[in-house]
Amino acid sequence: MAGGPSRELLAELATRPGRDTLTSTLVKGAFITVSLLFLAAMLFAPLITVFAAAFEKGYEAYFEAFKDSDTLAAIRLTLTVAAIVVPLNTIFGIAAAWALGKFEFRGKSMLITLIDLPIAVSPVISGLIYVLLFGTQGWFGLWLQEHDISIIYAVPGIVLATLFVTFPYVARELLPLMQQLGNDEEEAAITMGAGGLMTFFHVTLPKIRWGLVYGVILCNARAMGEFGAVSVVSGHIRGLTTTMPLHVEILYNEYNFVAAFAVASLLTLLAVVTLVVKTLVEWRTGYRKR
Amino acid sequence: MSIRLDQVTKRYQGAPVVNDVSLEVAEGEFFVLLGPSGSGKSTLLRAIAGLTGVDHGRIHLHGQDVTHVSARHRGVGLVFQNYALFKHMTVGENIEFALRVRRVKAAERLKRRRELLRLVALEGMDDRLPTQLSGGQQQRVAVARALAHKPQVLLLDEPFGALDAKIREELRRTIRQVQRELKITTVLVTHDQEEAFALADRIGVMNLGRLLETGRPDELYARPATRFVATFLGAANLLLAQQTPHGIRFGTTPVRAQPVDKVDSTREHEVVAVLRPEEVELAPSRDALQTNFIGNGIVEEIVFTGALERLRVRLAGSSEAQLVSTSADNQATNAVLEVTRTQHEQRAFPLSVQQGVAIGVRRIHVLPTPLSSYTACAATSEAAQRIVQHPFLTELAARMKTRITTRVEEGLAQSDPNKTAAERISGVAVIPAQGQTAQQAAWLFANGAGEVLILPAHTGLPQRVLIHWADDHARRSTLAVAASLLRNVPAEAIYLGIHPGAGDERRIAVRSLLDARTEAQAIHGLEMRTELHFGEAAEELRKQLSEGPEQMLILGISSIEQLQRDYASLFATPGNYSIMLVYRPSKESESTERTDTTRDAAQVSERAAAQL
Repeated sequence: MAGGPSRELLAELATRPGRDTLTSTLVKGAFITVSLLFLAAMLFAPLITVFAAAFEKGYEAYFEAFKDSDTLAAIRLTLTVAAIVVPLNTIFGIAAAWALGKFEFRGKSMLITLIDLPIAVSPVISGLIYVLLFGTQGWFGLWLQEHDISIIYAVPGIVLATLFVTFPYVARELLPLMQQLGNDEEEAAITMGAGGLMTFFHVTLPKIRWGLVYGVILCNARAMGEFGAVSVVSGHIRGLTTTMPLHVEILYNEYNFVAAFAVASLLTLLAVVTLVVKTLVEWRTGYRKR
Repeated sequence: MSIRLDQVTKRYQGAPVVNDVSLEVAEGEFFVLLGPSGSGKSTLLRAIAGLTGVDHGRIHLHGQDVTHVSARHRGVGLVFQNYALFKHMTVGENIEFALRVRRVKAAERLKRRRELLRLVALEGMDDRLPTQLSGGQQQRVAVARALAHKPQVLLLDEPFGALDAKIREELRRTIRQVQRELKITTVLVTHDQEEAFALADRIGVMNLGRLLETGRPDELYARPATRFVATFLGAANLLLAQQTPHGIRFGTTPVRAQPVDKVDSTREHEVVAVLRPEEVELAPSRDALQTNFIGNGIVEEIVFTGALERLRVRLAGSSEAQLVSTSADNQATNAVLEVTRTQHEQRAFPLSVQQGVAIGVRRIHVLPTPLSSYTACAATSEAAQRIVQHPFLTELAARMKTRITTRVEEGLAQSDPNKTAAERISGVAVIPAQGQTAQQAAWLFANGAGEVLILPAHTGLPQRVLIHWADDHARRSTLAVAASLLRNVPAEAIYLGIHPGAGDERRIAVRSLLDARTEAQAIHGLEMRTELHFGEAAEELRKQLSEGPEQMLILGISSIEQLQRDYASLFATPGNYSIMLVYRPSKESESTERTDTTRDAAQVSERAAAQL
């Protein structure tokens, strides 16, 4: 269900008269040039810089950077947080989109706006919310201390902050899709005797899978890359509560540029890989359908 | 009975979208629910399928009450307008879905799939994806899929809506064949009357949430009971005619009408006649007509449509017939008659635009509705004009596709019993609510009116209509008026039975209540709720009317004295509710009335002549 016009349609469009006048060609060329230049300056140049700086002192220095135990701990923590946050937010996102897309109730539009709150609020504030709630001076601080539970400056705090920040991605992606696709197929399944779970897994999920995949990828990218909120709640304890983005900053501040950019390149690579996977998946299913 | 609905009501935000619908569909019957968009037909279908809950009433499938059974367990097959196929599954997987749900073995599933694909003529399409099929083919798959689990009832919601004309017809034939072959009880929802005629064993016409009429297609077309059905099923011209003891007349011209038992033929009154375009005869002159002449006209428009020729003929002002509306437009003032002629007729009398013709009527059908037209009555013409512009009245007249005329009667000012009307009051007399309302109503009844509508200065269409009658003589006519009115107003109908005392009377009271409901349903097709109250009638009515907004009272009486004696307090201080008074003299007092009718008939024809 990849979007956009089909190949046949594009081919047909190209044959229509009145397409290739001189001005239209010029305008087209100008637009493409401007877009490419912008992309080059804003996107490709930083990307290349990251890798260039990482390999400045050769391959060995690059791979040496990953032998550091703190770096490995940071990578492990980042993956752990993503492994907890992404599935949780996938489930929450589907549930929220379902509730908002299929039912009518009071305060619905209010709720839709609220879902966007984590995107609207500065990540630093998102982190501070948790400090205010669970920190030693916070609302639950005393109680947590008495029971010897640490949330702030520990992994649970990082997970909570990341959860909050990445919540909207799946829900936002699915909501318009659910509204647009309607209920007919689900209702058809129900009249044929299918139960709730069967209807969800065999009818609804296949219908929304591409939106879901896209939402999950975005959610994952943000979960791995989140800096602001995590920075506030983590406490920057090396080897314990530093995620990859935080670790990059620490290394950079220590003038350990090669190591800093090496970790940064890994983060970038993760992002690029997820995007490639997404494109691949889309392309393959598109191919199968045709 | 395969499907039985009993007083099903569904409300959205307080407003009923399905209003007291009762219906029975026989085993193996093909039933078509026909109505304009927003008439509640799809909601009703979804209620049968169990996808929409109902607020009131019961639904039975094959003798079992399934009102609270979920859609999953009702065992119906449902086909949607937009196919609702599972796009990620192949045709075969789609069809097998219901069987997979039931854990049917693969071999058996395959067998059933083959069978169904043969049934809808799509053999060999098993492995296609829905997106690779045309719209018509997709809908066939949807039909096959809906039949896979052998449902006892097949429901189709506008299945041809998204298809073009040619494929529509093909699919229509397929569905009819499948239905015949499987003998499955089927309910189809559509807004297309041609589709309904082509498919249905029986049609039910819905409007404003009410099921107006049900019947065989030919019956409904030839003998509709309501204006809506008359104009919605095919084209129709609505004309005002006079019912006299000697038959139906347009002015002085008697016309041939099909006998309708529900029309009260003993009383001289105005009726609404349905004239189908194909029942109109056109001829060069009055003498050349083979049928009864009703007027002259000028051809305004001729449209060639193949087998038939469609004409619009403007009636000359001198015509005997008074046209109220046609199905094409609701403009009551527009005196344009719709006519169709066959090739044969065209050859016999070729016509061109602007040509003058004589118009004859082969056959008409009289609607058994007691509300024909509205007459705003007042002592001065300014007052009459004010009534005509009342939003309630204009809305009602527009909905009923009828006209409002004005009548200035000086006798109305003092309600002087000695001063009689210049001519009989025809149609529903409309007067404003004010101090002398009761006397004015009495005066109007004495001068030939059968119904008087009393409008307060500010009132909208009612949400609740209360029905009450003074004694059993008034019952039938009151119910007829209520049924006619409620077909055009989406309000809830409640019959108030009011009895003076308690004790033994209670049992009689309850019985009369049930009788009233049964009669309303059986004879007038009116679904109403009933309430029993004890006390003094006028007081009790006042109390009920004063609570809640936008109410209306339909009150039936059988003698004018009742009005002044028993119900005077209702009119003493005008409330915020409208009142429709229905007066039919009881049999005892009718003998004196009879002698009047001949005089009246003469008067009517004089009036008609005066209008020439």
